[in-house]
Parts: sequence; structure tokens; C-alpha cells
Amino acid sequence: MRPGLILVLLASPLAAQSERDRLEGRVPAVAIPTVDSLVQLATREDLPTEPLVQKALEGGAKHQPAVRIAAAAQAMLGQLRDARALLVRAGDAPPATAAEVTTIYAALKRGLPAPVVERIVAALPHEPRGSALHAVADLATHHFEPDSAAALIIDAARQGLRGERLLDVSTAVLHEVQRGHSRAEAVAVVRRQLPNVPSPPKPAGASVAGARRPGTTALPPP
Amino acid sequence: MNPIDPRIHQALDGDIARESLPPELRRVVDRLESAAALLAAAVPPQSAGLETRVMAAVRRPAPSGERVRRLLRWFATPQAVTFRIRPAWSLALAAAIVLLTLVPADERGPALGEHEGIAQFVGRFPDAHSVHVAGSFNDWRTGTIPLEDRDHDGVWRATVVLPTGAYEYMFVVDGERWVPDHWADRLVEDDFGRENSIVIVRATWR
Repeated sequence: MRPGLILVLLASPLAAQSERDRLEGRVPAVAIPTVDSLVQLATREDLPTEPLVQKALEGGAKHQPAVRIAAAAQAMLGQLRDARALLVRAGDAPPATAAEVTTIYAALKRGLPAPVVERIVAALPHEPRGSALHAVADLATHHFEPDSAAALIIDAARQGLRGERLLDVSTAVLHEVQRGHSRAEAVAVVRRQLPNVPSPPKPAGASVAGARRPGTTALPPP
Repeated sequence: MNPIDPRIHQALDGDIARESLPPELRRVVDRLESAAALLAAAVPPQSAGLETRVMAAVRRPAPSGERVRRLLRWFATPQAVTFRIRPAWSLALAAAIVLLTLVPADERGPALGEHEGIAQFVGRFPDAHSVHVAGSFNDWRTGTIPLEDRDHDGVWRATVVLPTGAYEYMFVVDGERWVPDHWADRLVEDDFGRENSIVIVRATWR
């Protein structure tokens, strides 16, 4: 047996155990076996498991009944499968990473139509698409046509904007709308400016000075 | 100045007898000899050397009042201070002073890692006694990130250092009420009948 395979076989139960430990005491006990089995199923299918654990923790924190937590995790597993299938359809080279599958899942969850997500995946084949998808979703949230929003963001990427700078494109479009332009005009104005869109302002220094890392100031629950 | 009669010099030097002088000159010689005797009595004995006499003067303790006066005089008198520094160090010192002067202490944020950014959470809860934020950045723990309302205007705030990425979150008011961020642009269904807000933490804010 290959050493790598031995490591995988040994690591999987250990990872599953650590995720069960995270759920203990935070999720209703009766929900844990179901969530645990979904996590193991996701592991076997090479799908990300962290979103399932997060959904269960979220349900537990919000005092949701066990059956509802299990249902939410079950639904999420299906959505993660859909996200990976979309990556395959868009021509993404397998195997899809957990991060990529989670990104696509989040974009679909935000309401972007699958064909629009596929278009962006295909247009940005060798780079993270999270910011591009959020930029398109931001515009779609403000009632822009998802197709025209995707076209703008893809144009911006072709002109050299990458990663978080793509978020500045959608922000610039929304600013143009606030200045009184119609949506179509706002898109046209920003397209003409590309790739020169303004960067976001820095947060005020005084407020940044008070920034803390979670955990460093942990307080007991109220 | 009146010239001195040379017979006075001769009498003082013993070249001529004092009795041979007229009475008025003899009185002058007497006065000069008295003055010389007084001066001789005021001068300390010359047997000790210069060094001995200087050290004796130095070791002599000054009266305490004099010492205080001397100290005050030293503080009040301009003193020359010689400061030798390499030009490179002096430039660095000047730059540090400018930096410390121009950037107020309360505006220096925490040191951020390469993949960290700042998330600011703001919510208006006029009647709340406590507000926390919980989300996928802290495993949805409700008591770890408190918001503060320092000026008691009902607006609660927290500024948090997080790894870059997108996170779902909600506010937890008074430890039990889950409330979405109404000022957030990005919302997503939470699968439990409500909506989570989404915050995107960027690395560019540094």
C-alpha cells in the first residue's frame, strides 16, 4: 500500500473526530450523528466539509431544533454537489478545490443564476473567482442585469484588475447610480474608466486603533 | 603722581641712615614700613607649594548655603553641550520624531498580517444592554466579540482583525435576540428562516 494512501486513510478519521469535537456541546446531541454522517459523506466525495460544520454550529447557536439543523446541512450538501458540477460544466480542470467549490456555492446562494456563474468561471480559468462573483452579486442585488454585470466584471479582469480590485468596479458603478445616472449609464461610465477605478477609503485611524482579534478579548457569554 | 624722593628709597633699602633724613621724610619712611608690615602679616606663609595651597582650597568644604547658591547658579547659567552623532542616525532620529508627531498615538492600528484585514461592525440598538457579533469567523460563538456604545447614543460598534475573505454574521442583542445587520448591503438566507449579513474583509486596508 502506498504511504500517501495510508496517510489519507489515517487522516480522515482524525479529521472527522476533530469536527465531531467542535459540534459537541454546541449542537443538539441528536443532530450530531446526522451532521457527522453528512460530513463523512462530503469527505468521501471530496467536497468541502467546513461549510457543513459551520451551518450546524450556526443552527446550534441560534437555538434551532435538531431536525432543522440536520435539514439545513442536508440541503447544503446538495448545493455543494451542484457547485462542483457547475465547475465541471464550466470546464474547470478537476479536481475542484474545497475553496473553489465553496466560492461557487456562496455565489449561487447569493442568488446569481448558474449560467452567469459558469460564464465567470470560464472567463477566469486560472485564478480565484470569489471577488468577481461577489462583485457581480453586489450589482445583481441592486437590480442590475446579472449578465451585463458579469460582462463588466469580466471586462475589468481582462484589463488587468484582479482579486479584491474587482469589488471596486461594482462599488464605482453603484456610486455612479447615487450620482444620478441610470444603471445602464453607470455601467457605461465605469467601463470607460477601466481599469482606473478608485480604491476604497481606508477606515478612520481612530477606529482601526481599537481593532481586536477575536479570542484575544473573549468574554463569557452574557 | 608726585615723584618719590630718592632718599626714601635709599633709607628703605638701608643705604643711608634714617636719622640722616629730614623729619618729614622720616615720617614717610615710618608710614611705608608700617604698611609693609601689615601686608606681610596678611599674606599666608609661602613655605607650602602652589599645588598644596590649591588642593587645600578645593578640599575646604563650602558652607551649605554657598553650595545651594552655586548649584542654582549652575542651573541658571547657559552650558555648552556637545552632541556627536552620525548623520545617518540623526536622519533616522528625525524621521522617527516626525512620524511620532504626525501620527497621533490613537491612530496607530494593530499590526496586520499579509492575509488579514479590518472588519467594522456597526448597528443601532437604542434599548440594548449588550450587543455581540457572531459569524463564520468565530464559529458562531455569541460571547466573543462585543460591540460597544461608548457615547450611549444607541449606535454599537466593533472593529475586528480577521483573515481576508467573506463571512456571514448576525448581531446578538442582549444575549438572545439574533438580528441581521440592517445596514449591510449583502444579505443571504440562513436556512433557518432569517437572513445573515455578509462582510468581505480585504487585505488592502493597511
